[in-house]
Amino acid sequence: MVPSPPGARSGPLAHAGRAPTGRVRLIRPRTTNSRGRGVSRSRGVGRRPLALSYLFIAPAVLLTALFSVLPLGMLAWRSLFSGGVFATSLSYVGLQNYSDALSQGGTRALQVTAIYTIGFVVVTMGFGLAIALLLDVKLPGIRHLRAPFIIPLVVPSVATALIWGNLFAPDFGIVNRALSALGLPQADFTSSPSLAFLTVLTFGVWQFFGECVILYLAGLKTIPLDLLEAAGVDGAGPWRRFRYIRWPLLRRHTVLICVVTTLTGLQTFNQIFVLTNGGPNGATTTALFYIFNQGFVQFNTGLADAMGVILFGISLFITVVLVGYFGRGARRSV
Amino acid sequence: MYRSRFWSRALIYSLLALAVLIVLFPLVYMLGTAVKPNYQIVNLRASLWPSHFEWGNIVRAWDSAPFGRWSINTIIFSVGSTIGQIGSSLLAGYAFAMFDFPGKRVLFYILIAGLMVPFSTIIVPVVQILADLHWLNTYQGLIVPNIASALGAFLVRQFYLGMPYELGEAARIDGASEWKVFSRVYAPLATPIISAFAIISFLQNWNNFLFPLIVVNTTSMEVLSQGLSVFQDQFSTNYDLLMSAATLVITPILVVAVLAQRRIVEGITLGAIQ
Repeated sequence: MVPSPPGARSGPLAHAGRAPTGRVRLIRPRTTNSRGRGVSRSRGVGRRPLALSYLFIAPAVLLTALFSVLPLGMLAWRSLFSGGVFATSLSYVGLQNYSDALSQGGTRALQVTAIYTIGFVVVTMGFGLAIALLLDVKLPGIRHLRAPFIIPLVVPSVATALIWGNLFAPDFGIVNRALSALGLPQADFTSSPSLAFLTVLTFGVWQFFGECVILYLAGLKTIPLDLLEAAGVDGAGPWRRFRYIRWPLLRRHTVLICVVTTLTGLQTFNQIFVLTNGGPNGATTTALFYIFNQGFVQFNTGLADAMGVILFGISLFITVVLVGYFGRGARRSV
Repeated sequence: MYRSRFWSRALIYSLLALAVLIVLFPLVYMLGTAVKPNYQIVNLRASLWPSHFEWGNIVRAWDSAPFGRWSINTIIFSVGSTIGQIGSSLLAGYAFAMFDFPGKRVLFYILIAGLMVPFSTIIVPVVQILADLHWLNTYQGLIVPNIASALGAFLVRQFYLGMPYELGEAARIDGASEWKVFSRVYAPLATPIISAFAIISFLQNWNNFLFPLIVVNTTSMEVLSQGLSVFQDQFSTNYDLLMSAATLVITPILVVAVLAQRRIVEGITLGAIQ
């Protein structure tokens, strides 16, 4: 019963730190000869409490079927029909909803989503990694500096977006006051398309880069210290230790964090609702905001459903492609 | 040598201090503005920090909208959803890890499918289903669709796959039922993983805005986040009131975050393994 080495853990982010401190271990180190992980692998000796099994899984499986799988089917089916949210008589229109959605602002929404998500992923991950590397340095008191980064993640984002709107407000907002103090012209962050987009993006980065910090920090803790020390003895400076040891060993984490951040970016909604309401002129209308707007404000359910299918396809594609890539990388690095 | 080490340490500390400052600044600004007299906010010459504290602003904000009702709704919604998520995940995860039954593979794939469907893509059909059930503007409409957590079930299953099956044998020999084996032997063992999952789920439910926004549209059923966005429309130029309201909404969660920070960090790490 030999605990597997850190690199061979099955979870992408192993929980046990490199130093077994008093911290609670969430997942016990898997032993090499433990039972198979396959779904259908038999456990126990002829222990099949059938009724109890179905009773146990019923709430989770039935509710998932009713509120995830069924809606997905309805979404795909109803995207081919025209009719309101609660309409009983639907008429088949084929792919009309898709072409209408794309010609009526949908293409723009997809572009906004793409630019937003790419910007969001690159900046949050860059900041996240940089801060995580600084927090990973062994210095007195540095452990306590980790806590502030989780605050934007957990406090209600409608409230923090409200603050953001105040910071960037015309005239009295602190950003404009700073611009005036520097002798620069004031900027109207709500009526200029590119500035409104930047306001929404900076909020997203402020809110979420703490998640990248936490996840990268968990990744950094899995890198064996002696490896870094050996490189240090051989004269490798901080940059080369990062470039040739940390960065390659963090690859699996980087891909995983990239999936999480991309899916978060694709589903950005709250600050758009609070700060810009999709405007000005559609500059901050992402695909999700488009779905919300067409479905619940304009009541063009067909267009909302078509965009829902497109957004689902994109999310699925990104997850499958990145996780496929991740799986390959994981095998190679073991 | 010694000197360069000093400077590199100083650099690390100051970069981190700057980052912490950026993260916390909006919250400090909120507190400062919340208790500031409005004439000082619109006066560009006035300092950012209030000259005297107007604690009455916070009371005024509380009285200008049904914050009490919204708080109760938020508590019912987030506590109900979280308890449901814990219960359903614990039961399903345990059964998928420990029992054998026909159709196990297919049923497990249904659960995994739930993990692959981002909720935001299916908001329209979910509302159609809730309308058919006459569950719009009800607590069950807010809570029941949230109960299934594919992630939670998946995490619990992984946890129990690493547990020896023999642990329950002693109890079984003593004649304990399978339910007793689960509730007395195995369920308590999952406390650490469940509490990390619970705190993250609770915070996510508490902060959920899009779902209540589409399910509920009467003032008496709204949750805090929703209420705050309505408040914003009503008092868009009363910066002191707006920031007081934001303070009211943020402070309780800030306290939770500070008290439970270690569990939150565990939960974030845990939640990313999908």
